[in-house]
Amino acid sequence: MPTINLRGAQKNYGVNSANAVSDLDLEIRDGEFMCLLGPSGCGKTTTLRMIAGLENLSGGEIRVGEKIIDSVSAGIFVPPEKREMGLVFQSYALWPHLTIERNTDFGLRLRKLPKAEREARVERVMQALDIAKYRDRYPSQLSGGQQQRVALARMLAVNPGVLLLDEPLSNLDARLRLEMRAELKRLHKEFKTTIVFVTHDQWEAMTLATTIAVRNEGTLQQMGTPNDIYDRPANRFVAEFVGSPPINILTFGKPGISDVADKAQAYFAARYPQLRGIGSVGIRPEAMGYAGKLEDVPQGSFSNEMTVTGVLPTGGSWILELRSENHTLFLTTHSLPRVDNGERVFFYAPPEALHVFDEKEQRITEADTLLRSSTYN
Amino acid sequence: MAFLNESTKTKVLGRSSAALPSPWQAWRYRLKVALREPTTLIGILTAFIFTYLIVVPIISIVLDAVRVQFGHERRLGKDVGELTFYYLDRAFFSPVASDLFWRPLFNTLTVALGAISLSLVIGTVLAWLISRTDMFGRRWFATALIVPYMLPAWTFALAWTTLFKNRTIGGQPGWLEAMGLTPPDWVAYGRFPITIILALHYTPFVILLFGSALRRFDSQLEDSARILGAGRFDVAVQIILPLMRPALLSSMVLIFAKCLGEFGVPYVLGLPVKFEVLSTSLFRSIASRQTGVAGVVAASIMLIGIITLMIDARLVREARRFVTIGSKGSMNRLSRLGRLRLPATGFAAAIFVLSVGLPLLTLSLSTIMKMPGRFALENFTLDYWIGTDLHTVALQTGILLSPDLWAAAKNTMMIVGLASLTSGILGLLVGYVVIRTPVRALSVYLRQVTFLPYLVPGIAFAAAYLSLFAVPRGPMPALYGTVTILVLALIADQMPYASRAGISAMTQLGKDPEEAAQIAGAGWFRRMISIVIPIQKGSLVTGVLLPFISGIKGLSLFVILAVPSTDVLTTYSLRLVDYHYTQAANAVVLIIAAIAYFGTLLAQKLTRTNLAEGLGS
Ligand SMILES: Nc1ncnc2c1ncn2[C@@H]1O[C@H](COP(=O)(O)OP(=O)(O)OP(=O)(O)O)[C@@H](O)[C@H]1O
Ligand SMILES: [Mg+2]
Repeated sequence: MPTINLRGAQKNYGVNSANAVSDLDLEIRDGEFMCLLGPSGCGKTTTLRMIAGLENLSGGEIRVGEKIIDSVSAGIFVPPEKREMGLVFQSYALWPHLTIERNTDFGLRLRKLPKAEREARVERVMQALDIAKYRDRYPSQLSGGQQQRVALARMLAVNPGVLLLDEPLSNLDARLRLEMRAELKRLHKEFKTTIVFVTHDQWEAMTLATTIAVRNEGTLQQMGTPNDIYDRPANRFVAEFVGSPPINILTFGKPGISDVADKAQAYFAARYPQLRGIGSVGIRPEAMGYAGKLEDVPQGSFSNEMTVTGVLPTGGSWILELRSENHTLFLTTHSLPRVDNGERVFFYAPPEALHVFDEKEQRITEADTLLRSSTYN
Repeated sequence: MAFLNESTKTKVLGRSSAALPSPWQAWRYRLKVALREPTTLIGILTAFIFTYLIVVPIISIVLDAVRVQFGHERRLGKDVGELTFYYLDRAFFSPVASDLFWRPLFNTLTVALGAISLSLVIGTVLAWLISRTDMFGRRWFATALIVPYMLPAWTFALAWTTLFKNRTIGGQPGWLEAMGLTPPDWVAYGRFPITIILALHYTPFVILLFGSALRRFDSQLEDSARILGAGRFDVAVQIILPLMRPALLSSMVLIFAKCLGEFGVPYVLGLPVKFEVLSTSLFRSIASRQTGVAGVVAASIMLIGIITLMIDARLVREARRFVTIGSKGSMNRLSRLGRLRLPATGFAAAIFVLSVGLPLLTLSLSTIMKMPGRFALENFTLDYWIGTDLHTVALQTGILLSPDLWAAAKNTMMIVGLASLTSGILGLLVGYVVIRTPVRALSVYLRQVTFLPYLVPGIAFAAAYLSLFAVPRGPMPALYGTVTILVLALIADQMPYASRAGISAMTQLGKDPEEAAQIAGAGWFRRMISIVIPIQKGSLVTGVLLPFISGIKGLSLFVILAVPSTDVLTTYSLRLVDYHYTQAANAVVLIIAAIAYFGTLLAQKLTRTNLAEGLGS
């Protein structure tokens, strides 16, 4: 399928309500596996439904290739049944009165395919998703995970140009989730379908997506590869939303509120006086190290002495909770911590691990070059 | 380290400043989306149909009340159709006003109030016994005591006359008279029996509404009051009564609305002593072609009905405030009756015998007895059911062999069946449009217009139909005396239940299954046929069956609109009553009662619901 392009797409459900989606520009290229990531209520489902044509726009337009399929100002609306897309609903929405097989071949029957081909294709997806043995059952006789796979199979059978998935894994247990994730990745390869995937699980997004679009309150915050999103969050929201435990934020401002922030402010003033208008600084827990003695702290990194108040094992890695007078930080380490509660340690972060945001919470990109080059001088 | 990788390109997107569409563009787009599928078109079409079938007749009869009618041009010195207050004056202020309106109004109100008080007393006690005590056979009584409501009210009126009829009117005497005990007129006819019968007939309302409120009521509320030191009496007055008030008021209002439109009972029992209520007065005005006065009376009935049900709507809204109280902790502790257990059971049994057993037994026996009230073997016969060559003027065969019965049965099936089928389908369609159309105004209008007949008692609605369709208007020929007018009136009358059922069915279905089909490539008609209708099969069946049952036992609509050639079972039996063929009339009523009873059971089986939800249909 050619690139799907949303331009200034907007959705407003009621006269007096805020925009569910405002001014969204989104480009979904052929073969891409795109994740829409964001907190609950940020308009992910709405976006999918707009693409599928189940929700009308309040403004803007949607194109497939050069063809406009939905536009308020041009007065064009291609109905969902003509869009040739697949959508797997958050609730599965299987047809309760049809067997699994009939659910799966519904779309093929509509397309009036010859019987032999229809059966072959149904067989193929049913095998691929391992639901062939339930073919004569009704949806109510399947477990949630099985229903989920039927919902997928039903859409894959018609081989849609793009597959829209609305939190398809949210109702599964951890193991099934993992299996289905691998399954989705395999399907993406096997069927070469463009996939748009909605989730608020950042892990899922990181592992599956080729591109992630992070949203908040109806607006797009950042779009990029999983690495982009993680390593160069465009603003504080993205930085805080992605990553677990969440990024440590030091907010600059009046001195005295946080001693660590004050220390950081002094650090920046001393080393990078050319950087102005810093609003806050973020440090990912996993980019931090710690040392028992000041001598062991690497040269040029930002550091501070703090008390260990918690050592939390998370299976293969540990989270250290560090407190100063009036600030708490988290630090992740992958080797067994050699410290105990109550011990004083120095945490440190190399300059390139610092994310600098301005007073409007946007990333200061000039800072990146500056901080990175400084490692080597 | 990954974040040193320069090649990754981060796109930071702020708000692009895409121009908002102009209002005209937005409107054009919305129109396009709205008209893309037949939903809105069907909605507009049905809106027109219901405006014509529901709103226009009501307007027409209200206009009748203030416009010069045929035959009065000379007297009023005005042309037909001109504005006049003559009919209002005649119905409200003239010397005959007391006969036409005020006395019937007074009778209606007193009968209704009497029936309400009596049924409240009996009903609350029974409801409490059934739902909160350890009375014997609670479950059985819970169903058995609802039976009176499944039967047509005038079944009981006929049973009453069979027992108590005296020599005031002709025909076979009642059993008591035949045994030599002449019941006085006030027992045999008029206010007293009408009140009793209506009370017994509507007691199930109280049992159902009050009972379900009682069941939702949390015993813990009672307990907390007791712990705080309140005595039994205090608990009843300060805790239970206030919480039950909405349910009580609501059943009172509903019973009142039903009494207002009740026709069969006052017709059978009131006529012999000229005891008139509003519905019979309306009937008389129509029968004597007093169209203008009929308009005034009908409009008054409607007005009272609308006011009543608006009060009810208010009460229901108020009742919602209490709903959360019952919540899930709802403990339902049964009170021990102790020594009163047996007497209580006896009371429930007595009410059952009075309101179901005795009337049905009387009616059944009366159809196989030659002379009333004589219990000798040679007096029993099956002739009235299956006999031939009876020595009567008309109806010389048993009722089951009479072609008239079968004609009436066929008419009933056809008229009621057709109307129920249509209204069931229309109901689902209305439900679909109301839930799905993007045009909100249409959705609201359809919901309200289909609900309108609920506010109008059947007899007034029938009068409205007569007023609109009795004469040809524009392309519409005169429909009086045809099957069409009956079917149309029935459809309109049943729409409140049909559309309510349709809306709730569609709400439950949600839009997911249909949207999934849409994504799979199914257009509107395909979705209807493959998805919506198959899934809604069950509710469609109920949507047809319930109106069918209420249509079969319905009388007031037919009595105004039917003519001998379009007789249905109810009007046929009423005609037999008029001709004093008591046994035959009772037999027909028994047939109707049987159909209504078993039909209700069937509907309950099919839908696994209980009657409380179908209340009022
Ligand atoms: N039919 C509707 N009518 C009115 N408002 C709606 C409707 N559907 C969604 N909204 C609102 O639009 C906003 C976006 O909703 P949406 O369902 O797209 O969120 P979401 O990102 O999918 O959330 P979740 O992660 O919880 O599924 C929410 O504030 C929601 O309340
Ligand atoms: Mg959602």
